[in-house]
Amino acid sequence: MKRSYRVMIIDDEESARRLMRAAIKWETFGMEVVGEATSGIEAINIIDELRPDIVFVDISMPFMDGIEFTQIASERYPGLIIIIMTAIDEFEYARKCVSMPVFEYMLKPMVRAEIMKVVERARAKLDAGGTAVKYSGPDDATDAEAHDEDSPYAGSDGETSPGELVKKYIEDNYTDPKLNLAYVAQHFGFSASYLSRKFKQDTGKNFVEYLTEVRMETAKKLAGKGYKMFQTASEVGIPDPNYFSRCFKKYTGVSYSDYNR
Amino acid sequence: MNRSNDRPKIKRTSISAALNLVFAVIILVVIISFVISVNFVIKSERRAYAVREAQMALTTLSNSLSSNISNYSELSRLIMIDDSLVTFLRADASTVDFGVINDARYGIMNILNVKEGVDCVLVFRNDMIMLATDRAAYSYESASMQTDLWKESIYEGKGRAVVGLNSYGVASRKDGLPVITIGRAIYDMYTQKRTGILLMNISSDVLSRILRQGSYHDVCLVGTNGEYLAGNKEYMKYYSADYAGNEILNRNVLTPGGNKLVSGCLVEGLPIVMLYVSAYGSESIPYGIIQVLIILMLVFMAVAGFAGAYVSRNITMPIMQLSGSMDKNKKSGELKKLDVEMPYSELNLLKGDYNDMIDHVNELIDTLVDKEKILRRAELRVLQEQIKPHFLYNSLETIGFLAFDAGADNVHEALETLGSFYRNFLSKGNRVITFGREVQIVRDYLSLQKLRYGDIIEDVYDIAPETEDFNVPKLILQPLVENSIYHGIRLKGEKGTIKIVSRLDDDILYVIVEDTGVGMSKEQIQKILSKDRNDRDEEKDSSFGLWGTIERIRMYCNDDDVVKISSEVGEYTSISFAIRSVPAVSGVEEDEEIV
Repeated sequence: MKRSYRVMIIDDEESARRLMRAAIKWETFGMEVVGEATSGIEAINIIDELRPDIVFVDISMPFMDGIEFTQIASERYPGLIIIIMTAIDEFEYARKCVSMPVFEYMLKPMVRAEIMKVVERARAKLDAGGTAVKYSGPDDATDAEAHDEDSPYAGSDGETSPGELVKKYIEDNYTDPKLNLAYVAQHFGFSASYLSRKFKQDTGKNFVEYLTEVRMETAKKLAGKGYKMFQTASEVGIPDPNYFSRCFKKYTGVSYSDYNR
Repeated sequence: MNRSNDRPKIKRTSISAALNLVFAVIILVVIISFVISVNFVIKSERRAYAVREAQMALTTLSNSLSSNISNYSELSRLIMIDDSLVTFLRADASTVDFGVINDARYGIMNILNVKEGVDCVLVFRNDMIMLATDRAAYSYESASMQTDLWKESIYEGKGRAVVGLNSYGVASRKDGLPVITIGRAIYDMYTQKRTGILLMNISSDVLSRILRQGSYHDVCLVGTNGEYLAGNKEYMKYYSADYAGNEILNRNVLTPGGNKLVSGCLVEGLPIVMLYVSAYGSESIPYGIIQVLIILMLVFMAVAGFAGAYVSRNITMPIMQLSGSMDKNKKSGELKKLDVEMPYSELNLLKGDYNDMIDHVNELIDTLVDKEKILRRAELRVLQEQIKPHFLYNSLETIGFLAFDAGADNVHEALETLGSFYRNFLSKGNRVITFGREVQIVRDYLSLQKLRYGDIIEDVYDIAPETEDFNVPKLILQPLVENSIYHGIRLKGEKGTIKIVSRLDDDILYVIVEDTGVGMSKEQIQKILSKDRNDRDEEKDSSFGLWGTIERIRMYCNDDDVVKISSEVGEYTSISFAIRSVPAVSGVEEDEEIV
């Protein structure tokens, strides 16, 4: 049986995300909403795990707006279907979108019938095949094997292993909010799944886990120095303080303000 | 604006420059014609002078030659009456022998001893028996001697001396030297019959001596037959038969040594042509005339200069003045009429035209302003039609009821708030509303935003009751609050408070909008408060609402320092402003409910 297509919703407004989730009967299109993000920053951090085929993204969001996210995502995930949503009918936005591989540009408030039409078209495109996005994941392990031989860092010549190399790279670049698995993989010329597996193999840790660890440990230090949350968030490469606060709480078990106290 | 920028690029000269050029050309022409005329005058004067000189010289020379030749004529008369010659002439042809001839010869030679210069004396009897004092020096033309042709002119003299050349052609000196011959017909004293002809040849040395004595270095004497006689032989090349007249003939000749005047005429009564050659001397330059000309020229130039200055002062300067006034008028930004006095009617005409134009322009502007006002009023009406959204309000009410009916009280409440927000937000298009309404807009806005973003925002109001009726420009509060949310609280990721405080003091409304967001750096505050539009562009998208609102408050109060921002990064931002009561603008009426 065909797998269902994965949908991700990125909008800073919770009610909008929830409406989007509830208003459409996704299963009738053979789709499921696999996740949401409240900002472009969060989306970049979790997109590798969610592995969406379709992304709905709002334009006006703080920290990283929909345009910037679309630029990054269309570069890192060719084949990803990006649908822009905006409440602002401005020519300049439309012009920017035209220059990018945006599947559709929709004006808010959105009407269900229109959303369904677009979703239908998106499904038709995905069904036509050949455009599946390459994420790391258990299902393309064989694909990753092939890369083993091609990779310039592969082999057992005793030099620095790819895992260690990437580890070092994370430590040097974790302040970059755009950093994620796909980006690092592209940087070193690996496939994402190969890097993911190799990283775990070499360091014993998951890529995302390790990146979060580095960021949060730094955050703890900064919190100790009395930094405001939004300042720390920006320092460790998660400039969206809302997402940062969730990450922090998840990692340390306490909220930033409590930790700071 | 730069004056040179709005002029076409074509290079145009000014009147004064053009006049200067014209004057320069005139003066140049005058100088050139002066030089030409002076040159001409000098030349003609010098020629006239040379001609006079020549005339004098020639007349004197002519007299001197004539009198000398007369002396020889007298001598020939003496010879004619000499006894031994008379005997020779009277004697019968058969009795004329060598002795008779010799007696006569000696008789003549005795007389000739009195005077130098006579080369030879020839006497012919009617029967052509001849005697000669210096027979050996001559060769004789027997053929022409036998004809009567040469005798005719002598006979016509009837005994008077007739001067000719070279023995009238019957004899010539063997060495070829020219001689002047005085011929006489000899008549018997008693019978009064012609008994013979006497020819007295005078050597050309006589002529040379006369020239030498008179210091005639520039003279050449030529026989009427074109033969050189005496003087400067160089001048023979100027000779032509035209000079053989009684009147003096003057001719200009161009020689390598300059212009020369050749004058010539016959010596009175003699077959001799005098040629007198003179250069135009510098001593003949007419300084007087030149002086007069120079003075005239200077006077002319002075007049021209004066005319130039006059034109400049009376035409160019007033025009510049006029232009200056116009320019000043333009720069002042007001279209006033000019009141400069112009010295000439033409310039006054120009000024009048300009003033008429100003009138016309002002009229046009008034008309335009009127039209614009009418247009604005019409547009405003259309706008007001648009912002009476009955349909929206009615729909909101209907949906609100549906929600209420279905038990969704929160939806009903939200719709009510939205309706209230829009009613106050639009306020029938009025530009000025009460501060109380302004606060209500913010209350509704914030309660709707809280629905969107959850309870990250807490709003606190500290509104003095007396401030609620104070008139303020519409929408000065809501953009500040919106800025507090999007550029303050939301960026912090923590719950934040927005506080609005108002006080009335001495008829001035003081308002503070404060939030506990991320705050602003000094540079950000400076940029927001900057009046320079260039500072704005890069941030246009993010904080235009705040900046635009500050601008509107500034314009309403006509005071750039009316808005103040204080902030601490990471702690708070506080925007405060004070509005002085402005008399109600006409057209602002008490709002009615629109639904």
